[in-house]
Amino acid sequence: MGLLLRQLRNTLLGLFVLAAAVLLVFGPRRSTRPPAGRVVVTYWEKWTGTEGAQMQQIVDEFNNTVGREKGIYVQYLSVSNVDRKTLVATAAGVPPDVAGLWDAQIAQFAAMDALEPLDEMARACGITSDYYKPVYWKACTYEGRLWGLISTPWAVALHYNKRIFQEKAEAIRKAGGDPSRPPRTIEELDRYAEALDERDEMGRLKVAGYLPLEPGWFMVHTPFWFGASIYDEHSQRFTLTDQRVIQAFQWLRSYSERLGPKSMTDFRAGAGGFSGTLNPFLAGTLVMEQQGPWMANYIEEQRPSMNRWKMFKDLKRNEKLAAERKLSVEERRANYEWGAAPFPPSDPAYAGATFAGFDVLVIPAGSKHKKEAFEFIAYVNRQEVMEKICSLHCKNSCLTKVSDEFRNHHPNPYIEVFENLVSSPNARAIPPCPIWPEVVDEMNSTIQNIYLLNATTEEALREAQERLQQKLEKFKERQAQRRRALADARR
Amino acid sequence: MRAAELRQLGKGMAFISPWLIGFIVFTLLPVAMSLYYSFTDFALLKGPLPVGLDNYRELMWEPHPRGRFGDPHFWNSLKNTFYYAAMALPAGMLVSLGLALLLNVRLFGQAVYRTIIFLPSLVPAVASAMLWMWLFNSKLGLINAALMSLGVKDPPGWLSDPRWAMPALAFMSLWGVGHTVVIYLAGLQDVPTELYEAAEIDGAGRWRRLWHVTLPMISPVIFFNLIMAIIGTLQVFAVPMIMTGGGPARATQFYTMYLYDNAFSYLKMGYASAMAWIQLLIILALTAVAFWSSRHWVHYQGK
Repeated sequence: MGLLLRQLRNTLLGLFVLAAAVLLVFGPRRSTRPPAGRVVVTYWEKWTGTEGAQMQQIVDEFNNTVGREKGIYVQYLSVSNVDRKTLVATAAGVPPDVAGLWDAQIAQFAAMDALEPLDEMARACGITSDYYKPVYWKACTYEGRLWGLISTPWAVALHYNKRIFQEKAEAIRKAGGDPSRPPRTIEELDRYAEALDERDEMGRLKVAGYLPLEPGWFMVHTPFWFGASIYDEHSQRFTLTDQRVIQAFQWLRSYSERLGPKSMTDFRAGAGGFSGTLNPFLAGTLVMEQQGPWMANYIEEQRPSMNRWKMFKDLKRNEKLAAERKLSVEERRANYEWGAAPFPPSDPAYAGATFAGFDVLVIPAGSKHKKEAFEFIAYVNRQEVMEKICSLHCKNSCLTKVSDEFRNHHPNPYIEVFENLVSSPNARAIPPCPIWPEVVDEMNSTIQNIYLLNATTEEALREAQERLQQKLEKFKERQAQRRRALADARR
Repeated sequence: MRAAELRQLGKGMAFISPWLIGFIVFTLLPVAMSLYYSFTDFALLKGPLPVGLDNYRELMWEPHPRGRFGDPHFWNSLKNTFYYAAMALPAGMLVSLGLALLLNVRLFGQAVYRTIIFLPSLVPAVASAMLWMWLFNSKLGLINAALMSLGVKDPPGWLSDPRWAMPALAFMSLWGVGHTVVIYLAGLQDVPTELYEAAEIDGAGRWRRLWHVTLPMISPVIFFNLIMAIIGTLQVFAVPMIMTGGGPARATQFYTMYLYDNAFSYLKMGYASAMAWIQLLIILALTAVAFWSSRHWVHYQGK
């Protein structure tokens, strides 16, 4: 028995040593070792997978060119919940040198002194307001200072299925529409949507012309298409009881009133996730939706036939892009089963309205290599680099100057639509509100109450207005208390 | 204390120091700090600003324009948590006890049935949440498919209808009763057979034996499970976070979820700490009530 136990113990020990040795030899290790003599800039970014690899490509190019020349080496690290982890690391005094956040965090982080201001460094590199499209520049600033520069910008447009428009041409015509073009006003969008709706034998929604819930990512920004916003930055007041804001959310509600909230939520439950083949727009069960320019990439990945409607059916992505170079933009567009157009405004005065969002590069407060970190951010903001990453991620540009190459040979043949939208005076970004994450949660539940018909639009918005204004006032009061405490301490 | 005893104490302390240091650094200190932070405005980057009872006032009794008091989402999340506990706690206790009684009956394949009942408890919370999301899916889910085959024309949107979302989550919580069943089974096997024999001689039937012998004898186990269930249901977080995210329209926003949002989305650490202390006091109070009531219904064999 003793011998058996000893043998068992020795076997287990041997296995453990072997496993440790295998781990040492083949186990995980640093993928790249920074070259000696260079300042290492740590860069935390949200992207993984293809998008992460594409950003890594930009980082490698920087390291092999500007980085080599100036003695800088950027180390890219994909980090989940990058906003929270950046904040915790900043509080602990060990922040990354560059962090890739979302637009929603600029005001919140800046108000908490979590970011380094970039004004002077940007100015020294020639990056000023003229260099950016106004909507994006403004969104990178908070209380008059610049807190971040964009890595990839985007905007929202109406995406529509041209094939289904053709198949249901008669129904669209009967509704007073023109199947050869997308709707141009909200009222026309509603008519198209109703004409395109299809129900199954049990009366459930089978095909939806348009559904505010799908994908529902931009519902909080609906007032933009009604010439309003939910927050007035000048008076620092929420404007949820403004007539145009009420009108915007009442329009969302009208879909619930027409289709029934259960019909809408059931349709949503049956639809697949965004990045799968069951995405209702890709599956042809949703004819029109609000989406960003990245849609061309996702369609290419999940349902490539939609990007090869009439020709190039057997060509792979790169071969198709090469073949498309010989075509005009109009000819290219004709080969796509879907189209993109400005999302219709409620009034022609708001033509060109869109929500302009972006991913942003910031330098967290306490970064040890600010100057070197900014060198990288400035590199990403060079026109040719910005156009490269935006082409890879299938997004528009945030810069004033855009090359013909970018406009004509972008993987998304509708990129001009997005470029025009973000250049419009009616383009808007997330308002500079320091409690924006709280606002989004409050608005999401308010919007749910509206489309589930739990409360009237006015009631739901009035309650949200009171709550949010109270939260904001409390935030401002605490900021003032802090300033007073700081002044007292200095005295 | 003699020198030898001191040396012994030193050695003892040295042996337990890994746990002791870990407990002090990672549990006791954070708990004490959270009490301090609950009286401050603290957003990680800026040092805590003392605000007295302001966080508690804002949560519970600050007046609002419509005659309401405190943070409506705080009260709503507290109400939701109690609503869930009122369904999940008794249902969980009854179902687990019932299953344990059935599994205690000697029959062929008893071990297999016990394994089947226990298996779901081994499935990670995230995996079972994903599984139940599909089961509850209003259009493609098996539950609604079964209801429709039974002639229900318009079965509910389990997770998308504010009226059904909470009962659905409470129902789903029964999926993980395996652990409790095992504890009940251990208690049931500890009941002396001579008591059943004596009761049988006295003419007690099955129900009387259950009521007058089994339940009093396993009452300490029931009490233990009750305390654990109170704590568990009032702290529920991961499953509803994955399945509903607190929606629709905050109908399933639990206390812990709102606390998490305040701490990690809105970065209001002081406010979240105050919420954590209120939660602790509520759980303490309910546990104290359970302990007080136990004098009347919990019977220990030694006494």
